[in-house]
Amino acid sequence: MAIPLKYNLRNLVARKASTGMTTFVIGLVVAVFLCVLALVQGVTRTLSVTASTRNVIAMRVGSQAEMQSVITRDQADQMQAMPGPERDASGKALVSPELITLINVPREDGKTNSNVQVRGMDPIGMTIRPSVKIVDGRMFNAGTNEAIVSKNLSKRFASMNVGETLKTGSYRWVIVGLFDAQGSAYESEIWTDARGLQQQTKRNMFSSVFIRLADSEAANRYIETIKGDQRLKLEGKTERKYYDEQMITGAPIKALAFIVGFFTAIGASFGAMNTMYAQVSARTREIGTLRALGFSRRSILVSFVIESLMLCLAGGLLGVVFTFLVFNLFLTHPTGTMNFRTFSEVLFNFRMTPELIAGGLVFALAMGIIGGFFPAARAARLKITTALREV
Amino acid sequence: MKYFRLVWRNVFRKKLRTSLTASSIVIVLTLIVILASLLQAMQADPSGGRGANRLVVQHATGLGNFLPLSQRQRIEQIPGVVAVSPELWFGGVYKDDKPENWIGQLSTDPDIYFDKIFDDASIDPAVNAEWKATRNGFVAGASIAKKHGWKKGDHIILKGTYIPLNAELVYVGPYSAGDESNLFFHNEYLNQSDWVLANKVTGLYYLKVDSAESVPRVAAAIDKMFENSDAPTKTLTEKQFQLQFMEMMGNVKLLINGISLIILFAVTLIVANTVAMSARERVTEIAVMRTLGFGRGHILGFILSESVLMALLGGILGVLIAKILIIPAFLAVLSKTSVSIWLVNFRVSGRTWAMACIVSICVGIFAGFIPAIRSSQLRIVDGLRKVV
Repeated sequence: MAIPLKYNLRNLVARKASTGMTTFVIGLVVAVFLCVLALVQGVTRTLSVTASTRNVIAMRVGSQAEMQSVITRDQADQMQAMPGPERDASGKALVSPELITLINVPREDGKTNSNVQVRGMDPIGMTIRPSVKIVDGRMFNAGTNEAIVSKNLSKRFASMNVGETLKTGSYRWVIVGLFDAQGSAYESEIWTDARGLQQQTKRNMFSSVFIRLADSEAANRYIETIKGDQRLKLEGKTERKYYDEQMITGAPIKALAFIVGFFTAIGASFGAMNTMYAQVSARTREIGTLRALGFSRRSILVSFVIESLMLCLAGGLLGVVFTFLVFNLFLTHPTGTMNFRTFSEVLFNFRMTPELIAGGLVFALAMGIIGGFFPAARAARLKITTALREV
Repeated sequence: MKYFRLVWRNVFRKKLRTSLTASSIVIVLTLIVILASLLQAMQADPSGGRGANRLVVQHATGLGNFLPLSQRQRIEQIPGVVAVSPELWFGGVYKDDKPENWIGQLSTDPDIYFDKIFDDASIDPAVNAEWKATRNGFVAGASIAKKHGWKKGDHIILKGTYIPLNAELVYVGPYSAGDESNLFFHNEYLNQSDWVLANKVTGLYYLKVDSAESVPRVAAAIDKMFENSDAPTKTLTEKQFQLQFMEMMGNVKLLINGISLIILFAVTLIVANTVAMSARERVTEIAVMRTLGFGRGHILGFILSESVLMALLGGILGVLIAKILIIPAFLAVLSKTSVSIWLVNFRVSGRTWAMACIVSICVGIFAGFIPAIRSSQLRIVDGLRKVV
C-alpha cells in the first residue's frame, strides 16, 4: 500500500527553513541552466529563422562564408544571364550580386567597438528577402552612399539613426532607413548599394550572388546547374543551408551550457541528498511507526523518493520563475556575440521555449531522483525495532 | 586553537553529511576553476603581458580590408620603430571543415619575426634558423602541434578560402608562448598565388617599437601618415588588438562571471543548510555547554569554525581532485569536440587555484554566519527544555 502524498507534502511544509533553502538552491541551478540554454536557442534561431529554401547563395568553391568568397564582375554577369530565377513585376530577374565588408564601429556607449558586416546589394535584394521590411525612413537609392540598418543594430551602435552619417576611416554612409528582419542574421547588418560600396572600398568585385527561385525544388535544380557549369567555378547553397552551417557559432556556448549544467546538477543533488538524509534521521521513529502499521519497505522507499521529487520539482518551478524574471528585467535588449565564421557580431535575443522549460523541469527531477534515492534506501532498510527505540 | 579538536570532531560527527557537503563544494569549485580558466584562455595574451612594446596596424575600417604592402617601408622609417612584419590571415581549411580542426594561420616575415618582434615567445634557435631557410616550412604553437600530433617533417595542406591557393606546408618545430593556437609560415610562400601578387596587400602590420614611451607617438605617426591615403590605418597596441576579439564575444564574459557568482551563492546555501541542520540537532548539547560556562562567543566561534573548516576541507580537496582527476578528464573529453580550439590555451594558473581556496573560506564564513549567531543567542533554559 502506498503512503499518502499528503504525508510528504506536510513534512516538507513542516520543515520550512530546510525545504526552503533546498528549493531555492535547486531553483538557482535550474535558472542558470535555462538561461544558458536560452542563449543557445537565441543564437540558433537567429541563424535559422526566415532563411529561405527558395533562395540560393552562390559563392566561390570552398568558401565557408561570404566574407571569404570572391566573385568577379564577369562571373556575376554570367549569373545574371542564367535562366531560372524568378522575376519581379517589371520583369527584372531576382538576382543580386552582393559585396560584403566588415567595418569596425563604436557601440552606442562610445566606449567599445565591434565589427559589423556591411552588405552592398542590388536594390532588388529587398525583393529576394520578402521577410525584411522597412520600418522607418525609406530604401536606399541605387548608386549612392545611402544605407539602411536594422532597427536592433541602430540601438546598439552609435550614429545609426535615420539622417545620421556613419563614418569609419574614409567611408561614409548616410542612414536613410531602418529595417526589421524578424530576428534573423540580417539584423546584424548594414545594407547599402553594391556599386556605391565598390566605389568606396575600391574593390571591383563581389562576395556572393543571391538568387530567388520559384520553390525549393527549383532552387535545388539551380544549384545543380551552377555546379555543372565548369567555367563558372562557383558553388551554390540554399540560404537555409548556408546559415545552418554557421551554427558553429553556438557550439562553444552550447558546450558551456552542458558543462555548467552537469557540474551544478551534481553539486545541487548532493545538497538535496543532505536534506533528505536529515529528514530520514529526524523521522526515524516515524518510519518505524509506519512500518509497524504495515507499510512495506517498498512503500517507504517510494514515499521518500517522491518527497525528494516534490522538493526538486518545486525548485524547478522556482527556477523557471527566476528565469522569466531575469528575462523580463535584464535581458530585454538583444545581445551580441561573435560569429566565428565572419568575425563580425551577430545579434540575438535570449529565447525561451516550452521545450526548454520542460527540459529545466526534467533536469530538476533528475536531481530529485539522484538526491532522494540513497536516503530513501536507508529509510527503507531501517529495522522496525531499532527505529522505534530511537529517541 | 585549543578547541580545534572539538571543532574537528564536530565536523566529522556525521561523516556522510560532511562528505556530501564537501563534495558539493568540490564540484562547484572545480566548475569555477574551469570557468575562470576558460575566460583566461579566451583572453590569452600572446606575450603573457610582455607585449607592451608591440603595435598592430590594421585598416581603419577594420580587419576585413587589406593594406598595401608599400606601407611597410614608410612605417619602418618612423623613428622608434624596431621592426615591422606584414601578416596575412590565411584562414585556410585544415583537413575538413570541422571546428576541431580550426587553426589560426598567419603568414609573416620569418627573418625578423621571432628575433625582433615576437621575441618573448620561446623557440629553439635551431628550429628558428631552419624555419627561416625552409620556404614552405611552418612553426606552430606547442599546444596546437601536440594536439594534431605533428612531427618534424610532416606535410599539411591548408585549403585556401579567400586566397585561392592550397598551401602545402612542412612542419619545422614548435614555439611556446601565452597563445599557442596559431601557426606561422612565410609571406614569400603566398607569392605563388596570383591573387597575392596582383593585389600586393597584407592584412596587418605587426611591429615592435624601442620603448613603451614610443608607443603612443609611433601609433599616432602611423595613422597620421596614411590618414588621407587610399588605405587609412588604425594602429592598436597588441592588447587593444586582442581586446577587439573579446569585445566581439559580447557578453560572454559577463555571462561566465554571472554564472560563477550564482552557483557560489547556491553552494553557500547548501553549506549553510548543513550547518544549520547540525546546529539544530545539537540545541541541547549547546545549552549544556553554556551551562558548563562556555560563553556566547565560544559557541559562535565553534559553529563558525566548523563551517569554515568544512568549506576549507572541501576547497582543498576540490583543488586536488580537480587538478588530478576532473580537469584532465574534462580536457580529454572536450578535445574531441567542436570546442577544442578554445582549449588550446587552457591552463589553470596558480592564481586561480589560490582563488579557489580563498573562495571556499568565504563560502564557509558566509554559510556559517547565521546558524552560528542563532546558536549563540539561544537561551539556556529553552535549549535544555527542547526535546529533539
